[in-house]
Amino acid sequence: MIRFVGLCKSFGTKSVLDGVDVTIGKGEVFFIIGQSGVGKSVLIKHLIGLLRPDRGEIYLDDQEISRLTERQYFAVRRRCGMVFQHSTLFDSLTCLENVALPIRKHKHLGKKKALVEAHKRLEQVHMEEFAQTFPAALGDGMRKRVAIARTLTMDPEFVLFDEPTTGLDPVSARRVDVLIRELADRLHVTCVVVSHDLTSIFSIADRIVMLYKGKVRLLGTRDEFRRSADPIVRQFITGSAEGPME
Amino acid sequence: MTESLAQLEVAAKQPGRVSRGAERVVRRIGRSVVGIAQQTGGILVLLGKIVRRFFPPDIDYYELKRNLHKMGNRSLPIIGLTSVFVGAIMVVQASAYVQQFSATAFVGWGAGYVILRELGPILIALMFSGRVGANNTAELGTMVVTEQIDGLRSLAIDPISYLIVPRFLSMIGMLFILTVFGNLIALCGAALFGQLTLGIEWRVFFHGITELLKPWDVYVGLIKSLVFGLIIALSSCYFGLAVRGGAPGVGRAVNASVVASAVGIFVSDYFLTFLVD
Ligand SMILES: Nc1ncnc2c1ncn2[C@@H]1O[C@H](COP(=O)(O)OP(=O)(O)O)[C@@H](O)[C@H]1O
Ligand SMILES: [Mg+2]
Repeated sequence: MIRFVGLCKSFGTKSVLDGVDVTIGKGEVFFIIGQSGVGKSVLIKHLIGLLRPDRGEIYLDDQEISRLTERQYFAVRRRCGMVFQHSTLFDSLTCLENVALPIRKHKHLGKKKALVEAHKRLEQVHMEEFAQTFPAALGDGMRKRVAIARTLTMDPEFVLFDEPTTGLDPVSARRVDVLIRELADRLHVTCVVVSHDLTSIFSIADRIVMLYKGKVRLLGTRDEFRRSADPIVRQFITGSAEGPME
Repeated sequence: MTESLAQLEVAAKQPGRVSRGAERVVRRIGRSVVGIAQQTGGILVLLGKIVRRFFPPDIDYYELKRNLHKMGNRSLPIIGLTSVFVGAIMVVQASAYVQQFSATAFVGWGAGYVILRELGPILIALMFSGRVGANNTAELGTMVVTEQIDGLRSLAIDPISYLIVPRFLSMIGMLFILTVFGNLIALCGAALFGQLTLGIEWRVFFHGITELLKPWDVYVGLIKSLVFGLIIALSSCYFGLAVRGGAPGVGRAVNASVVASAVGIFVSDYFLTFLVD
């Protein structure tokens, strides 16, 4: 279980999160939606200690984690993987080496064995033919799949996906949807997904939260979102240019 | 220090007492002093973090090997080339006096003394900083702005022990090796030009080095190269990690790192020269 309580965060004078309360259940596929720049990435980065809140608390299975030291956060990060919006693969390593790195570091395998396991992980995301390619030579979508494979090597209990389908072709995007749903259904991994992709949202989300102006606008199931009368929510999920949204 | 700075700022803010131009100058001085203090502080904090990774040793040996290889390969040719000419210049500059006083027996000693104690370590360190240090800052800075460092942290991998410690060790070790190598090349360059321009035999030249130079003269240069390596490693890593503001920020950081290294090299050389004698 993940729980944000009254989370506030500003950068300089600019307030991004202004009292966010969200509870995410175990094994859930939980979507975070909202306009670009509303603070979705900022919110999930707090969970693994890449950012620290100005006020508020964060609970991971009843442990308050927002005041842990950088070192103590390592334990949290092993349980809670993150796939970044911009993949963040390491330029200096091939795709295979990228995926092998956390295996080598955390499973204490030699380099050879780590590479063998990394290759299996790449097959899961259909990227094995690019094993020896450097990330710079790949498109955004392919990099993202490699990044997903790299995060999953740690067999995390929670995975944070930051816009996992943005920049992917429709087929790859649906494959990622299936992968996320399977993680939740088969391995009971809690998946927190930041997304604008209406197709993903309405096909695999268990529950959804919409952020607007630093606060929770609506939290509910897919049906609750479809039925919502809130003009701002309506404008977002219908994707129309006209409306009350700023 | 900060108190007097504050007074200056106060004085600068009072209109009428100080002209506007002077105000601007004082502000700028104040800001750059504060900046230098901040950077020095940041560099010392980084050094502390690095040192802590040695107790117990937490070093990524693959990264260490990769960096050693890369840094060595990258700088060998350029340092070899510079060194030959450093040796040659020594001889060319000295040739007028050597001929005048027919002091050919001392050319080897003179060139050896200057190259091994002073010129070799300094010039090689400056080349190394421009080549390897600048590259290191750019690489780390790019990793910061593209969130690769956060990516490492999210994989529960400590960026200091995975990225910084191997680079730190490689730079110090590699500069030391390159200084030994460069010194040898420079001496050979000096011997070669000594023979070509002054007709000094190799045997006489190297006799001057082996008989007249003290081991201490060699050690001084090597100690310097270790200190210079430390300075380049720390400043290039610090400025790389401190990058803010996208690609332009990387450019600024590379610039700052090379300048800081050069200043650090000259200042520490001055003090080392006093300390070791
Ligand atoms: N490290 C940071 N420093 C300053 N401002 C930041 C930082 N990270 C995010 N922001 C700001 O916070 C706001 C929310 O960003 P983000 O969470 O990335 O938006 P999104 O919802 O599109 O993921 C943006 O306006 C961004 O400029
Ligand atoms: Mg984002």
